[in-house]
Amino acid sequence: MTVYITSTGAFLPGPPISVGEVEGILGAVHGKPSSLRVQIQKANKIETRHYAIDGNQKTTHSNTEMASNAAEQCLDRAFLTRDKIGMLAVASTQGDLPAPGMASMVQAELGLPAIEILTTHGICSSSMMALKASWNSLRLGDHEAAVVVSSELSSRLLKKQRYEAATESTFASKRIDFNTEFLRWMLSDGAGALLLQDKPAPKGISFRIDWIHGFSHAHALPTCMSVGSAGLPDDERTWQDYDTYGEAEKAGALLLRQEVRLLDNIVRMGVDGYLRLVEDGISVPSEIDHFLCHYSSHHFRDKILDLLDAAGVGIPEERWWTNLYTRGNTGAASLFIMIDEFLRTEDVTISDGDTILCFVPESGRFNTTYMQLTAVSS
Amino acid sequence: MNDGEIAIDGSLGSKEPFDSKNERVLNPHAQRCLQQLLRVWLGFERDLSTVPLLRRIDLGTYTIDDHLCLLRNLRQQVIEGSRWITRTASSFDRNHAEIRSTIISHAVDEHRDYELLEKDYVASGGDLNDILGMERNVGSEALHGFLMHRSSRSNPVDLLGAMWIIEGLGEKMARSWAERIQELTGLGEDSTRFMTYHGHNDGDHMERFYDMLDEVCVDELTVRSIIKTSRVVARLYRLQLEEVEHELE
Repeated sequence: MTVYITSTGAFLPGPPISVGEVEGILGAVHGKPSSLRVQIQKANKIETRHYAIDGNQKTTHSNTEMASNAAEQCLDRAFLTRDKIGMLAVASTQGDLPAPGMASMVQAELGLPAIEILTTHGICSSSMMALKASWNSLRLGDHEAAVVVSSELSSRLLKKQRYEAATESTFASKRIDFNTEFLRWMLSDGAGALLLQDKPAPKGISFRIDWIHGFSHAHALPTCMSVGSAGLPDDERTWQDYDTYGEAEKAGALLLRQEVRLLDNIVRMGVDGYLRLVEDGISVPSEIDHFLCHYSSHHFRDKILDLLDAAGVGIPEERWWTNLYTRGNTGAASLFIMIDEFLRTEDVTISDGDTILCFVPESGRFNTTYMQLTAVSS
Repeated sequence: MNDGEIAIDGSLGSKEPFDSKNERVLNPHAQRCLQQLLRVWLGFERDLSTVPLLRRIDLGTYTIDDHLCLLRNLRQQVIEGSRWITRTASSFDRNHAEIRSTIISHAVDEHRDYELLEKDYVASGGDLNDILGMERNVGSEALHGFLMHRSSRSNPVDLLGAMWIIEGLGEKMARSWAERIQELTGLGEDSTRFMTYHGHNDGDHMERFYDMLDEVCVDELTVRSIIKTSRVVARLYRLQLEEVEHELE
């Protein structure tokens, strides 16, 4: 069974927030402006992003609401009645509730009766996991249509109160704790949704899913991006091992961390995965018309370009397309938000038969995922 | 002192090992060979993270004792390195004079690098006699045996695969180990001179490497032999680094 993306939707909460306004939303820790913010923002080159919290760090939209809003927009644009939907898959780094799975909550919000659900848990690549499982479900003929949603509300992890409460953490004891602060100036909120069907939409452009592949390197490489440990080399406790959640928070075990030093591995493993696909004849670089690459920061774009070029599998820069700079790095939601805008933007002409390569690397413990789409116009 | 910080403003970004190819156009065999070599390298580099001693560099628990142990174990490999490389040069006939010259000058650059390692060892608090008296570990035996065997054959072009791995590692030491080791152990720059020096030098070596690759990669058979040798060397080099642990026990 051939499967198509026949509709898309996105939801970005609140107004676009400029570089200079970010600290006003997330809050200055203990009232002191960050000494790293400007440097990190200069490197990622993100101009505007959105947050589901306000300037008093109060939540304006839940993760479930954002996911549901994106799904609603996707379904409103679809040539399909809702009773045809057999499956809902939802991806997020952290739903509103640790349990049950976020798909249950989004299903309830959407009011889709008696469907099959799937929640995928991970970081950026959880969107691709949800998409692959839904794609396979349709390929097997289990369902005619599935909705796949990815949504992130990371600002709740990044607001000043989190850092102020971590009184016994590396963040409190070090003059500069780059690993703990790095993601504060990188991530923001949003949701994207895709509708999968066993036939193309009757009007406009659909994307046929040609293949989805992933390569995870957790067997060899250490954890690079995480929440749940204090970030000390000789402390193996995770957040639930502390006597109280209060102690875990004080120790900094609930802060989001990036082992910045290990980050280059994601570029290398990303290129390694693409070389595997080229070697196996699955992807042909010269045949790619559009490259949608989820890179977290402009800093990594050049690194990926250089390494792909060195390997002789470079994709010309004019074929790269991203909305990172205006929509922000929304983690798992990024690719779907990107596909949604790519389909609508006037910057790019998508012609029948165009090949689109999508790449979502996840630095968590180094999972790299790839997808090829072909544009089909009706 | 580096508090887990890397330069991320683009201009100061850490240098990728293989970005010095510039606009060079390789012949199609050499291009394919380079693609496969890159994959062998990326796999090798990833798997180095599983070597306990090197994982401690990643995790931040690497100690001065670890450093002394690493230097002791590297010395034999460096001494033997200059031997297989000079033998490789002498195994090329007059039809490969250009490559022979390149390899000879490479050998001249590096054949006394082990003296730098000895100085680093002493600067790190080690006793010179300990490093001088160190035997080859199990992995070094295997690696050296393989390289001497291959380099004794006539026109051993497959050894480009060995150079690729070993040069790549030189750059990696300079790029990601040297400064990190100083930071974790509190040792000074004089504890990692071998690593940093070797890295600087290897930039030019990569340029010459691409020239050689373009020259020798004339058919699929050659590509396969280079890739095979690079994979064997990658595996044996990792074995050598894994065996470092056994000396500690």
